[in-house]
Amino acid sequence: MSKTHRAANTLPDQQALSITDLSIQFGGLKAVEGLSFYVKEKEIFGLIGPNGAGKTTAFNCITQFYHPDRGEVLFRCKNGDVVDLVGHPVHEIIRLGLVRTFQNVEVIKELSLIDNVLIGAHTDFKATIFEQALRLPRARREEREMRAKAEQALDFLGIADLKDTLAGGQPYGVLKKVEIARTLMCNPKLIILDEPAAGLNDSETAELAETIRQVRDVYHCTILLVEHDMRLVMNICDRICAISFGQFLACGTPEEIQKDKLVQEAYLGEEEPE
Amino acid sequence: MKKESNTVQPSATPVRSAPGVLKNPYIRYILFGVVICLLPLLANSGIMPSSFVVNLGSVLIYSIVALGLNLLLGYSGLISLGTAGFMGLGAYISGYLTDSVGTPFIVALLVAVIIAAFIGVLVGFVSLRVAGIYLAIATLCVSEILRKTFEELDQFTNGFSGLTASYPKLFGVSLSREMTFVLLAVVLVLVMMLTHNLVNGQMGRALHAMRGSEVAAQAMGIYLLKYRLIVFAIATAYAALGGALYMHFVKFSYPSIWTMMLSLNILAVVVIGGLRSIYGTVIGALIVFAVPDLLLKRIPVIGKIDGIAYIFTGVLIILVVMFYPNGVVGLCNDIKKLFTRGKKKGGASDV
Repeated sequence: MSKTHRAANTLPDQQALSITDLSIQFGGLKAVEGLSFYVKEKEIFGLIGPNGAGKTTAFNCITQFYHPDRGEVLFRCKNGDVVDLVGHPVHEIIRLGLVRTFQNVEVIKELSLIDNVLIGAHTDFKATIFEQALRLPRARREEREMRAKAEQALDFLGIADLKDTLAGGQPYGVLKKVEIARTLMCNPKLIILDEPAAGLNDSETAELAETIRQVRDVYHCTILLVEHDMRLVMNICDRICAISFGQFLACGTPEEIQKDKLVQEAYLGEEEPE
Repeated sequence: MKKESNTVQPSATPVRSAPGVLKNPYIRYILFGVVICLLPLLANSGIMPSSFVVNLGSVLIYSIVALGLNLLLGYSGLISLGTAGFMGLGAYISGYLTDSVGTPFIVALLVAVIIAAFIGVLVGFVSLRVAGIYLAIATLCVSEILRKTFEELDQFTNGFSGLTASYPKLFGVSLSREMTFVLLAVVLVLVMMLTHNLVNGQMGRALHAMRGSEVAAQAMGIYLLKYRLIVFAIATAYAALGGALYMHFVKFSYPSIWTMMLSLNILAVVVIGGLRSIYGTVIGALIVFAVPDLLLKRIPVIGKIDGIAYIFTGVLIILVVMFYPNGVVGLCNDIKKLFTRGKKKGGASDV
């Protein structure tokens, strides 16, 4: 499926990502069924749901780790084109401006923090393998520029002084920040955070909330949050989509979601009939 | 000159005491090469037997080959037991081309490396489908197929009787044994520099990411197939380069040299020397390929045991895996730390 063929898609101006009728089935299990929602530009959007609701599946469908059986994932790329992500190879997604983090931080223990962050700039290197092997001028210049950029990203997250230490043995909170710094390297339009608060304590979670806001404001990107931690979600999200058993429940502001009958039932169980 | 690489190597400590020039990794590689080139003088002056040069030359050759395997195993987390086959391929191609066709040495070397790299790419395709122990078996099969081919294709390889070659001719000058040794050192230093550049750049990080998690690597935009193919091509190219140099340094090649035993020994070099360490690989090659011949065989009683080299390597692998999982380099760094600590203490007492 060529990108040019897909470029004919359109999105309303203020939308960054729009998902329509997304469905995927594993064997007989309908993990996600007819899910639709959209994310506005520069918004912090939360995707929530009880365990097994299909949050991670939905978001693996967006990032093309899974290929949905049905549905459309329209995304406004870095260059302004709107493309349907479905069918794109996984490693191409980041080039379009969509980048993700992982629930159990995926950093390389044997590399320094800055080298871990530099992995995020992988697609921005233009020098060929030969140029790299011989350290020709272009390879050297790119390495220098990216390194400076990575230092900025680490500085932005307040861990610049740790840049040359190995990632192995760093506390979890630092590794989470490294992962966020890594996403910033590719000048993303949309960052998807997979349960960023998992494994963090209260003060770290509060700090994370502040960080996420700053990322949005400073790097001008949209953030899609897949999260379990209700305090974080209610605290920072502009809008939230709740799903349960792979199906859409409600979408709205945090207040609307908290009041929503279906969401309450999904989380707390149905009320006993009086 | 090139100012780069403040990358932290695993378990590497910054050399604080070294003067400014020595901080440049390239100058250190060159110095290292110069020291190696001076070693044959030991044999000439009678301190070491003259077979010492051959032993040491093989160590240099196996270092080149093991650097390729380290790229696979250490950086990318891919295992290969096919190293010997590709070495043999390089040896036969370059031996046949120089002695029977009359191709210049450099051209024969390049042809050997390119053909091997091409076959390496094919193996890379296989590596996308199979992983771990199955990849080891697949590469072992490729190696055995190559070895069988060496036996059967006797119009090219001279079959079991083996192929002989002469010392390399460079620019019309036939090199002596000592000069060939220097050539090996030069090639090794070049390969070390190339490897250093590759692993400390974008590609090295991509390989690290691939080893860490394929899923995360893909999310970072790393195309697995591309890097699998590249790393297999480089590893087999290094193996073939080593094989071709072997042909012109040891001057003969039999199919029975290129067996699984050799592949395992090169694997031992990487494990003992140090995963993801360039100097460690050379140290490993020295331990596995020189220590048994130069030292162990001179010890009375123990030296007489058949297969003492294998016993030595086996015991060493167990010890290294138990105590220094990152290889002997870890031990070297610990010793270095001990020394710097001692110095600091000494300095403090002076004050």
